[in-house]
Amino acid sequence: MAVVSVQGTDLMVEMQGLDKLWALKSQLTIPLANVRGATVDPGIVGEPKGIRAPGTHVPKVITAGTFHREGEKVFWAVRNAQNAVVVELADEDYTRLVVEVDDPRAVVAMIEEATSR
Amino acid sequence: MGRRRSFDVDEVVEAAAELFAGRSYDGVSIDDLVTRLGVHRNSLYGVFGSKRGLYLTALRRHVDHDVRPHLAQAARSDRTPAWDLLLLAAVDRAPDDPEVAELVSTVFTELDEATGDPGVTEALLGRWLRNRGALTVPTGQKLPETASEKES
Repeated sequence: MAVVSVQGTDLMVEMQGLDKLWALKSQLTIPLANVRGATVDPGIVGEPKGIRAPGTHVPKVITAGTFHREGEKVFWAVRNAQNAVVVELADEDYTRLVVEVDDPRAVVAMIEEATSR
Repeated sequence: MGRRRSFDVDEVVEAAAELFAGRSYDGVSIDDLVTRLGVHRNSLYGVFGSKRGLYLTALRRHVDHDVRPHLAQAARSDRTPAWDLLLLAAVDRAPDDPEVAELVSTVFTELDEATGDPGVTEALLGRWLRNRGALTVPTGQKLPETASEKES
């Protein structure tokens, strides 16, 4: 589970509890200017993830950490696919973030509002 | 950014517009889009950024291709134009998305100008709503044209 918030001109993604450990990352800070959009997408969990480096991948249980596939670098922190949100980035180390949040619709609405200002 | 765009963006946007014209925004999942449009999920995100990004592109395309060229004609005709995406956007998305609200309201204003009478716009919207809910077509009336009809 991750907590996503807007702080000033940044998007903050903070891992909660043990997910800090699985993802080997406790927090990500992305300038809002580099956020292209956010989408509720439970189905993305069924996609091939690519090569994990570093992180934790137990298929059907937890996908956490950095994954490389087809030239893209994607940060994952998902256990419950139903609450997965995809955040597409530009000019960042990561191509996109796929994180589990408490309320996916609210997170997407918040990011859309913050990025269209 | 070195992403592959191994598909025809315009074709994908047109197919997305058809999908969004038939169902509410929340009723269309990324799974539905990936399946219907035949593109990879990562390409979809890479090109459009988000579901909203694709939706806005599809809505703008619909407005430019299907609505704006037919404003005057729609105002004169008794038939309901194939503007389901625009009208669904007005009902479903405009209250939640200021960009959609602005586009929809701009188009309705253009329609007012094309007819010179906001009453005609309202009659057109009313006809569309009535036809959406009609199970049978009253005698002597023509069926509304379907969304797939193209005029060029």
